[in-house]
Amino acid sequence: MPDTFGASRPATLRFALPCELSQVHQAAQTAHRFLMEQGCNEEILTACDLAFVEACNNAIKYAPENARTQTVSVEILCHNGDLELRVADHTRGFDWPEKVELPPPESESGRGIFLIQSLMDSARYLRGTGENILIMRKSRPSPGVKTKPRAAMDNDWLITGLLEELSFSYESLSAILRYSAGQNKAGDLIKFARGVLGDLSGVVGAEWFVFRTVQNQSRLDVLAASESALDMGSIVFRGENSDAEFLEAQVAASQQPLWFDETRELADADPLRLKPRSHGIVYPVFVGENLTGTLTLGKNLKRGASTPAGELAFTSSQTNIIGTFAQFLAIQIVNARIQEEQVTSRIIARELEIAGSIQRSLMLKELPQLPGFEIAALCQSAQQVGGDFYDVLKLTDDTALLVIADVMGKGVLAAMFAAILRAVLRATPELNREPAALLARVNQILFDELSGVDMFITAQLAFVDVKARRLVVGNAGHCPLLVADDSGVKSLSPEGMPLGILPDAVFTSETVDLPPNCRVLLYTDGLTEAMGAGGERFGQERLADWFNENRGRARSAGELQEELAGRLAQFQVKTRLNDDQTFLIMTG
Amino acid sequence: METEMETEMKLQNDGATLRVSAVAELSAANANSFRDETRHAFGQEQRNIEVDLSQTTAVDSCGLGALVALHKTTSSRGGVLRLLNPTPPVQQILELTRMHRIFEVINQ
Repeated sequence: MPDTFGASRPATLRFALPCELSQVHQAAQTAHRFLMEQGCNEEILTACDLAFVEACNNAIKYAPENARTQTVSVEILCHNGDLELRVADHTRGFDWPEKVELPPPESESGRGIFLIQSLMDSARYLRGTGENILIMRKSRPSPGVKTKPRAAMDNDWLITGLLEELSFSYESLSAILRYSAGQNKAGDLIKFARGVLGDLSGVVGAEWFVFRTVQNQSRLDVLAASESALDMGSIVFRGENSDAEFLEAQVAASQQPLWFDETRELADADPLRLKPRSHGIVYPVFVGENLTGTLTLGKNLKRGASTPAGELAFTSSQTNIIGTFAQFLAIQIVNARIQEEQVTSRIIARELEIAGSIQRSLMLKELPQLPGFEIAALCQSAQQVGGDFYDVLKLTDDTALLVIADVMGKGVLAAMFAAILRAVLRATPELNREPAALLARVNQILFDELSGVDMFITAQLAFVDVKARRLVVGNAGHCPLLVADDSGVKSLSPEGMPLGILPDAVFTSETVDLPPNCRVLLYTDGLTEAMGAGGERFGQERLADWFNENRGRARSAGELQEELAGRLAQFQVKTRLNDDQTFLIMTG
Repeated sequence: METEMETEMKLQNDGATLRVSAVAELSAANANSFRDETRHAFGQEQRNIEVDLSQTTAVDSCGLGALVALHKTTSSRGGVLRLLNPTPPVQQILELTRMHRIFEVINQ
């Protein structure tokens, strides 16, 4: 297939000028130079110069005060024998008169439109929202390099018609431009892409499209397709096991557009096999120098028809439109992604900040102590702040309620439930000596709120009486409590469901004696679930063994806390903390 | 009396006629100041204005508007506005807008 792609592109000049009359002269010179480079003769130059100046003057003179900061954008296209000058303005717009007449001689204004109309072959003023565009056309004598065949000329007229149609949809184009400022969700983006590509297909006469975007610099994923069947999985265009022979992969790898028709042989699993009797183009889409994706547009061939030799599915003008749309879409995608990432990361950061401060406020600065006993605790937060907390409620001189809990879930909600649980426990002093009854009451109070958001809390309450050297333990689905003394380690795990599972859950309690040199450990599963370098868990056994090592030695709770924290840190030296790790140690 | 204006044009009194020359361009950017400066320099006793357009490379519709305004000024005193030696592009726009029939255009 001949590669006429690059050769038939119109020469284009685009620039913007500040909304000031004094800038028009320079802009006109820029336009003049460009047109001269394109080989326009003196007559054409004079006409274009003046029409251009008039168009710019109007765009500037009638711009409302608040639009003066916006530039006037100019586009000049030069294609074979045809020139097109476009000047976009931000004025309120006006109705281009159906018949342009010369104003009476004594009138000091009103000749601009007349001049434009007289100097150019055609002028059309398209009104949009916030922006209007004046399109002026002039044909110039062909430089005589080559005369185009008649058929091609007809085709060009067809394209001109299409271009006009495109221009007529300026309202929707400006809607698209406006939309780009507002949308920032992935779902919106897909819908948006489908809308834009649907419009594009209509304009260039394509019957189907697939737009793929580059992921991980090696994969093409479908973002939008004209039909669900075309929404086929990923294509790998780089690296091992790449689908290098697929058309879209070839385009992504070569970064060159590729034409195809029904005679092209497609690899076995090429998704474009779904459209065997069609012709079209696979177009690489860039933002700056980076490949953002591929856009495939195709037309179906009628039964028995075939693509005439040397003919491409789309004309050069259509291909230009395809390129413009694809580029526009790609920029929107890149912008939307950046925006989305920024929004998401800001929200997460803020949420974690809030959760973190709630959680910190729950931790006691100084733990109450009991005579003859010592209490120490530690709460290490993972990056994603969770709902771990501990508490020590001093009841009398000799008694206290030890609390450890883990609210399932992360973030603000978990931290809030932790705060609520703490408050409820402190507000129910009459049951503080009976952990099982207290858990039942707390469960009743919190059930509706917890189940309403599908959350639950595991908790362990231990009432300690140092005078009686006795411990009463109640458990709501929490990991066991360890008690160690000279005879070994005991694990206590009385029956009980997590809070928030059943409205009338029943809890039991267990009572143990606290002999001299005893140690009590309350912890959350973040400890036993802690992961080592090889993927192994810290585990309950390792924890119980460590707790037992200290048998027969008088150790303070503070020492043990530091030692356990050290062990955990060592164990996780190569891995990241992925859950809160909280524990409370009492010795006595 | 000779003044150099912001627009770099020259204004010269010659009896009943005010001569304006060295106008580089007559466009939206300077049309109003051109009109006002010329009117300002136009003495009470004068009747005609002569604008030398031999160095004027471009005139746009606003420039024409300014010329129309000066034409009215001179007419009100029974005088004329003369345009001297317009360059081809300027001549073209004058013809296109039929202004060459209103103003007195002199090619010397």
